[in-house]
Amino acid sequence: MSHDLKLFVVDTGPLITLAVARSLDYLLYVDADIVIPDAVLHEATRDAARLGAQDIIDWVKGRRASVEIAPTKAYEIFDAARASIPDLREPDLGERAAVEVIEEPDRLRGNERGLLLCEETAVLKRVVVRDRERIVEISTLDFLKILEAEQRIQSAEQVFELAAQAGRLASRAEKLRDHDDATRAAIHRLVRRRDEG
Amino acid sequence: MTETERLALRAYSRGEMTAIELRRRLGGASYGDVLRLLSDEGLPLPRAPEAGREAQLTRARAWMFPKHVA
Repeated sequence: MSHDLKLFVVDTGPLITLAVARSLDYLLYVDADIVIPDAVLHEATRDAARLGAQDIIDWVKGRRASVEIAPTKAYEIFDAARASIPDLREPDLGERAAVEVIEEPDRLRGNERGLLLCEETAVLKRVVVRDRERIVEISTLDFLKILEAEQRIQSAEQVFELAAQAGRLASRAEKLRDHDDATRAAIHRLVRRRDEG
Repeated sequence: MTETERLALRAYSRGEMTAIELRRRLGGASYGDVLRLLSDEGLPLPRAPEAGREAQLTRARAWMFPKHVA
């Protein structure tokens, strides 16, 4: 792996959304090094029964050559502490690990640039970057919309539909039929609002 | 939906709460439920709040696909 562009997956949202939509390989449609901080992967997969967790584990195992799991001190300390406190939870562990990875002096060298793929965090605000012009933060939908605009995928919206269907199947199977049309309509409205916003 | 749940939904939409936390506060709501509630409340999907967003996305696209963007 050695590209001028690094794609940092800095929270669990993109992994889970793409996993449940069986679209994790979309991350590889861009000519970039994919970097996932160890703690982010941990948060997304610590409970294999959680939505998308097993798919993420399988995908990472199958794409070892393309995906770097970046080790961090934050996770190392957390992991050591779990030896004495097995149920230990640290809500911002993934975010701290992401900040640590992005701030590594050798992460962006020369003309290299970084895309931060995230859903809910504001990692960029916490990062001390020497040159902010070299880093852009985008959401999963932004990422998919760009792929769609470049005709690399058919529909960004479809990914969210698949994710929503998977989520519903996982937790509320009894409501499946009633909510099919409602969910689809909601997603149409949300994506359209996003485009107009 | 209670007012507390509505506040949580708004916080999620602003990017101030994780989806997992929101779903817990909504009593184990699914991701599909969250999308429907956002739409019903007229709230946008969460996204990184940043000035000059369109310029950022144009830049991101140019970085992702340098040969295809003027």
